[in-house]
Amino acid sequence: MVKRFDPVAGRNADIIESVMASEDVVNLADDLQFKVRLCVEEVEENILCYSGSTWVEVETCVEKDQLNIEFRDGGIAFDPLAKADPDINASLDERNIGGLGIFICKQMMDVVEYERKGDSNVLKMKIAIKLQ
Amino acid sequence: MDVKITKQDAKTFVQLTGRLDTTNAEQFQSDITPLMEDANPDIEFDCTDMEYTSSQGLRLFLMLQKTVSSKGGNMVLKNMKTQVKEVFDITGFSNIIKIV
Repeated sequence: MVKRFDPVAGRNADIIESVMASEDVVNLADDLQFKVRLCVEEVEENILCYSGSTWVEVETCVEKDQLNIEFRDGGIAFDPLAKADPDINASLDERNIGGLGIFICKQMMDVVEYERKGDSNVLKMKIAIKLQ
Repeated sequence: MDVKITKQDAKTFVQLTGRLDTTNAEQFQSDITPLMEDANPDIEFDCTDMEYTSSQGLRLFLMLQKTVSSKGGNMVLKNMKTQVKEVFDITGFSNIIKIV
């Protein structure tokens, strides 16, 4: 399933709910749906905040025992995976507010990959699934 | 998400219901900002019915914890669901925010 959001400004909730309602996701176990919702929110927040793109495409597909989620946008080249991970052992005083979203995706998903393809940013996430 | 705040003596109880995400983080920030103005904050969150938090929620809990600690106050998050707790665990927030 591919969904295109154009224009994308203010569509945060639409993007998340359209992925959650897709046939690839709606039948997943609750714990997997939780992870998908969380990672989709983190990625789309990142795109809406930083890429400057007026559009976003989200594609989901199930391959064997794996759910693939791919985000595409037409914004400035931005590799969110290039950013250093937050120091999760830092003290309260040292912890910074922010920088957590992509780190959460890296922890929750089995694979997170970024690619610059032509004029688009492409972010792929993969997670093993067990259909109910 | 619904946020119900009650005060009893010097203690503040906050009951959270639903999902804390990008659509309501701003409202949640407005809801909890007055709690940071207490001279000696003592805040207890009941997370029994909190279904979800994204990093948007985490950053607000961190902001609140920093303020509470700087004032020598106390803050605790109680009865968190396993999956919500996992988000606090993998980000290291369980080390800096009291969760029981």
